[in-house]
Amino acid sequence: MMAANNYFGFTHGGTQYGAATASAAYGGQTGYAVAPAATAATYGTQRAAATGYDTAYQAAAATQAAHAHAHAAAAAASAYDASKSAYYQQAAAAYPTAAPPQPQPAYDTTAKPAYSTPATYAQQYGQGGARGSGGAKPAYGSVYTATTAAASYPSQPYTAPAAQPAKQTANRGNSAYDTALYNAASMYVAQQKTGGGGSGWKNYNKSGVGATPQRRPKPQPKAQQLHYCDVCRISCAGPQTYKEHLEGQKHKKKEAAVKVAAAGGAAGARACGASALRCELCDVTCTGADAYAAHVRGIKHQKVVKLHTMLGKPIPSTEPTKLTPAKKTVAGAPKVSFVASGGLSTVGASSSVPRPADKEDEKVEEEDEPEVQPVGQDYIEEIRGDDGKALSFNCKLCDCKFNDPNAKEMHMKGRRHRLQYKKKVQPDLEVKVKPSMHQRKLAEAKAQRMLVRDELWARRRMHEAGEDDERAYWEGADWWRGPHHHHHHQGMGMGYGPVGRRPETSDDRHVLAKHAEIYPPEQQLQEIQRAVSHTEKALKSLSDALADHARPKNQAGKAVIKTEDKKDDKPEGKEDGRDNQLFSFVGEGEAAPASGDGAGAGGAGGAPVGGPGVRALKGVMRVGLLAKGLLLRGDRDVRLVVLCHDRPTVTLLKRVANDLPHHLNKVKGPNEDAKYKVELQPAEGAVQVSDGTVNVVVSLTSAVMREPAEGGDIKRDDKDVLPRQKCLDALAALRHAKWFQARAASLQSCVIIIRIMRDLCRRIPNWTPLNPYAMELLVSGVMQSASGALSPGEALRRVMEALAGGLILEHGPGLRDPCEKELVDALGNMPAQKREDLTASAQQFLRQIAFRQINKVLDMEPLPKVKHASGGWKFPRKRRRSNTDADQDTHNGDGKVVKTEEKADVSEINSNAKK
Amino acid sequence: MVRGAGRGGRGIPGRGGMGRPPFSRPRVLMLRPPFDLILAEPAFPRCKPAPDDAALTQALLKRHAELCPTPTEQSAVLSIVTKLQTVLDNLVVAPGDFAACQLEEVRQVGSYKKGTMMAGKNVADIVVIMKTLPTKEAVEGLSNKVNEELNKLMRAEGLGNVSSTCHERGFTVTAATAAVRVLVTTLHQNLRKLEPEVHLDYKVISSHLAAIRHSRWFEENAHHSSIKVLIRLLRDMCARHSGLEPLTPWMIDLLAHHCIMNNPARQALPINVAFRRSLSLLAGGLFLPGCAGLPDPCEAAHSRAHTALDLAAQDHAAATAQTLLRVVARGGHRYVLGLQAFEGGKDISTEITVWDGVVVSPLAPAYHDSPEPMDTEDKDDDGIQDGVAA
Repeated sequence: MMAANNYFGFTHGGTQYGAATASAAYGGQTGYAVAPAATAATYGTQRAAATGYDTAYQAAAATQAAHAHAHAAAAAASAYDASKSAYYQQAAAAYPTAAPPQPQPAYDTTAKPAYSTPATYAQQYGQGGARGSGGAKPAYGSVYTATTAAASYPSQPYTAPAAQPAKQTANRGNSAYDTALYNAASMYVAQQKTGGGGSGWKNYNKSGVGATPQRRPKPQPKAQQLHYCDVCRISCAGPQTYKEHLEGQKHKKKEAAVKVAAAGGAAGARACGASALRCELCDVTCTGADAYAAHVRGIKHQKVVKLHTMLGKPIPSTEPTKLTPAKKTVAGAPKVSFVASGGLSTVGASSSVPRPADKEDEKVEEEDEPEVQPVGQDYIEEIRGDDGKALSFNCKLCDCKFNDPNAKEMHMKGRRHRLQYKKKVQPDLEVKVKPSMHQRKLAEAKAQRMLVRDELWARRRMHEAGEDDERAYWEGADWWRGPHHHHHHQGMGMGYGPVGRRPETSDDRHVLAKHAEIYPPEQQLQEIQRAVSHTEKALKSLSDALADHARPKNQAGKAVIKTEDKKDDKPEGKEDGRDNQLFSFVGEGEAAPASGDGAGAGGAGGAPVGGPGVRALKGVMRVGLLAKGLLLRGDRDVRLVVLCHDRPTVTLLKRVANDLPHHLNKVKGPNEDAKYKVELQPAEGAVQVSDGTVNVVVSLTSAVMREPAEGGDIKRDDKDVLPRQKCLDALAALRHAKWFQARAASLQSCVIIIRIMRDLCRRIPNWTPLNPYAMELLVSGVMQSASGALSPGEALRRVMEALAGGLILEHGPGLRDPCEKELVDALGNMPAQKREDLTASAQQFLRQIAFRQINKVLDMEPLPKVKHASGGWKFPRKRRRSNTDADQDTHNGDGKVVKTEEKADVSEINSNAKK
Repeated sequence: MVRGAGRGGRGIPGRGGMGRPPFSRPRVLMLRPPFDLILAEPAFPRCKPAPDDAALTQALLKRHAELCPTPTEQSAVLSIVTKLQTVLDNLVVAPGDFAACQLEEVRQVGSYKKGTMMAGKNVADIVVIMKTLPTKEAVEGLSNKVNEELNKLMRAEGLGNVSSTCHERGFTVTAATAAVRVLVTTLHQNLRKLEPEVHLDYKVISSHLAAIRHSRWFEENAHHSSIKVLIRLLRDMCARHSGLEPLTPWMIDLLAHHCIMNNPARQALPINVAFRRSLSLLAGGLFLPGCAGLPDPCEAAHSRAHTALDLAAQDHAAATAQTLLRVVARGGHRYVLGLQAFEGGKDISTEITVWDGVVVSPLAPAYHDSPEPMDTEDKDDDGIQDGVAA
């Protein structure tokens, strides 16, 4: 057995070699068993011959080894050669153990530590083989075919080296070695002649032999006890049956098939899949590892194994041989040898692959094979029967079922399952790609498409170069400016201004629509304008008259007021220094639109004075809604404040009330038919001028009233003086008007929102307690605190946000009145419940605005959506909008004019129902 | 936009590959931050004495003390989290024969990591990033494995057993006094491979990834203890009022951070001011559509934290906060904070209450499920665009 194993090992190497070099390795098998003595003799001879050579030997071996490498390198161009030399080294390495009967111990005793004779031999032969392929092959071949052509052999070992000058130096250096070689070779020849079956060496030496099929002897001579058919791998009971078998159909068929397969090269092998496995022993090809395993377990295989064991034939390991079609093609010629070998020698070599070079590859692959671990065990459900035995399996990943545990195992290793596993569980799982024809086609098609697309893009880029430049410019320069960029970007030629304001939102449109609705009509404005203008002129005229009348008296009283310039400073006192600035500003502003007659009524009550006289009525100014421009539709009441030099008294008021109608008639144009009615309101400290539609309230006040009431000064004319609070209110109104014009009016959207809020306060009881001035403060504060300009919609929402956030609740900061020196809360007098209600209302409004129900806040019909003219980026939206528009229109077209929120809701529901 | 600029500038041929024709960019919404009294202070100088907030401050601190987990609780959580982390780390480093899934990374997230745990809620969160795709089986396998390993550890220390139950976010390991939610997610590049019927839900998976980002952001930006105090108070408040319940912990984190830190001085505000401010911001529509809200620092540019809420929830949350704001303004903070149960546990935000003769009433919702199409349509658009607006 030991021998057999060794033999096998050796043969294995030999067969590989034989296969590679297309030699008929057959003869060697049995011959070897009987050969050891002869081989030993050969070696002995060699050693004997090498006594003088020993010294030279090592060097020679070294050089030759080097040479072999050099040669291999030189021949690297031909894979065949390279592989061969590689192989030889391998074979040589295997040699010592492979041939224990050979005198290895003897070699050891010769104390050549680096004993490499076998290797040397191998190399020698290897070179020979390699060379053979390069052209010297016939020579070598004849050496070893000496059995048939012995005559030619003696000279050839010498000529062969000569044929290769590169080698000669080395060879010459150890002619003794060559001699030994020659001796050995002759011994072999002799041995072969006597043994008739060849030897291991012969087998080994098959290197360059162009083996021929006819050289393959039948195994009959060996088959003494057992009648074994190599082709069919069966044993026959006796010679008779064996003969019959050989003549039988089956055998012939097999033989023919083997020949055809050999002749046809790899054709047969190629047919099988990439991963086909082959049982060398039985010459059976299996499609997969599992099928192979099944085969090995099978009775047929076991029989063959038994037989081979009995015969003492080599039994290849159960390791399957892989058939790799791609590799088969490499070795066209060797195929022949494979076929020819037919016998046992093919056992290890049926793949007939140029083993040496591929050895490594193959190893890798062989390692790969077991690496295909079953995956996704967790996803296989076992369906158990009542007895708890697994009946079937269900793979959840692939959604398939198996009844057999083996099938389950196979499935788990299968490509489909692994692909699913990769897809669904472990994305980095390696699944070998099957380069099927179909996939290749797909890949090609994809590449093609990519190419086409690239080209297309290239062309289009060229085409759009101009546009791209533009884009690059805008995107590079101010992409961060948001809408600006967009307008320019897509609005080429659309006439967008450089300002690039965002298009107005639905909220904006609602607010603006509401604003347009509450804004007073032109006629109303004109009426008010005329009435106010007349009143102012009349007051001026009155003031003139009073001044003329009272000058002497007053001069003594207040000498300080001499000039007109001083007048401006004086009436307001120190606190009004700020107001003063505003006063002059506002006064002129007010005067100008008041009337074109240069009276400058508001601005300069004293203007017409002309002289240094001190007049009781120093000036008049519009305050309140009129001054702030907050008049709404339906507003009829406007206020003027007349500044008096001294504390305004009831007497003065009465006089004004008495004289004013006369002056009004005087200033009124002759063709104007307005009839003014003047009414005294002593409790208010004012007179009311009314022309039937417009009421102008003229309050008398004086800056002196603000001065601390102390001393007898006040008491002096206490009874006669107008109510102090009213006078202060009038003064405050003056300041508020100035503040408004200076601060609030300049804020974007502020006036609009204040008008809207005024409307709100007018409409909604919860909001009424919010006094107008506080509301103005609030709105302007909210606008001011916004980081940028707000659109009307945003501004209204922000006001609601502020109120909803509890700005006017108790813990809030309050609204500081900027027109007071002290910290005064403009809302200080608002009761808690009112604050609460107002806040709650604002909170509700805020959410309504947020959810696009701003129309409810504004108490108006929802506006139909507009089509945005702002460009292509809203195309889908635009279309949708127009649809809703249509709906909206039909709904409105029903002729229902819906006023209240509730009704609007109802109609909405109706319209929804209709749709 | 940035991406666009790059494209325009360098002319990368991938323009078509992004599948977006040049002109169909999403509309840029210039959303405005809401009115914020703290930031608007220059426009509204205080003209009356500041209210005496000592009572509120005291109440806030008292409530916070109640909400803080006790040392026992903390150590219980710590113990199980440490063990679980060990087990999971071992699985990351040496999976051995564990093949149900491959783990990439394990991270602690959530309130435990942020230090904002609440008393009585001893649930820590750990996110497990799987290298493999998170199938339900993988989660189950991991759960079993973790359970087994953890029990070994527990036995070694002579502690009670743990049990582990799977759910749609991963699984929860429950010990005697504490629990850990193991939230399963996967690598970014695997996200698009998820299939609804095989794997965990995409939204869940990505929310777990977001949780990791949130923890990191929090660690870097919101470590001030005032923020943590406010987070506890707000989370407690939100949990007790139905309208505020939909607010996610992440929104609350952002809100608390904003309220404490975002002021002109960049110094942490006192807790009472910040608490009022948070209510006031919510009431002022911070989380309403059309408002810039709070930008989410952990998402792509211009995404807002509150868009995760649906419109009805946004409306409801705002309305609740508005009512609570007015209740607190009337001195009802003890009820709002939960120091005192309101009429046997009723939700004060839905009841009409009277404070010193002032009636505070709850508000009706403004959002209707099916108002006229014009309204919702626009709103929905807004909601979507917020997310993608570049």
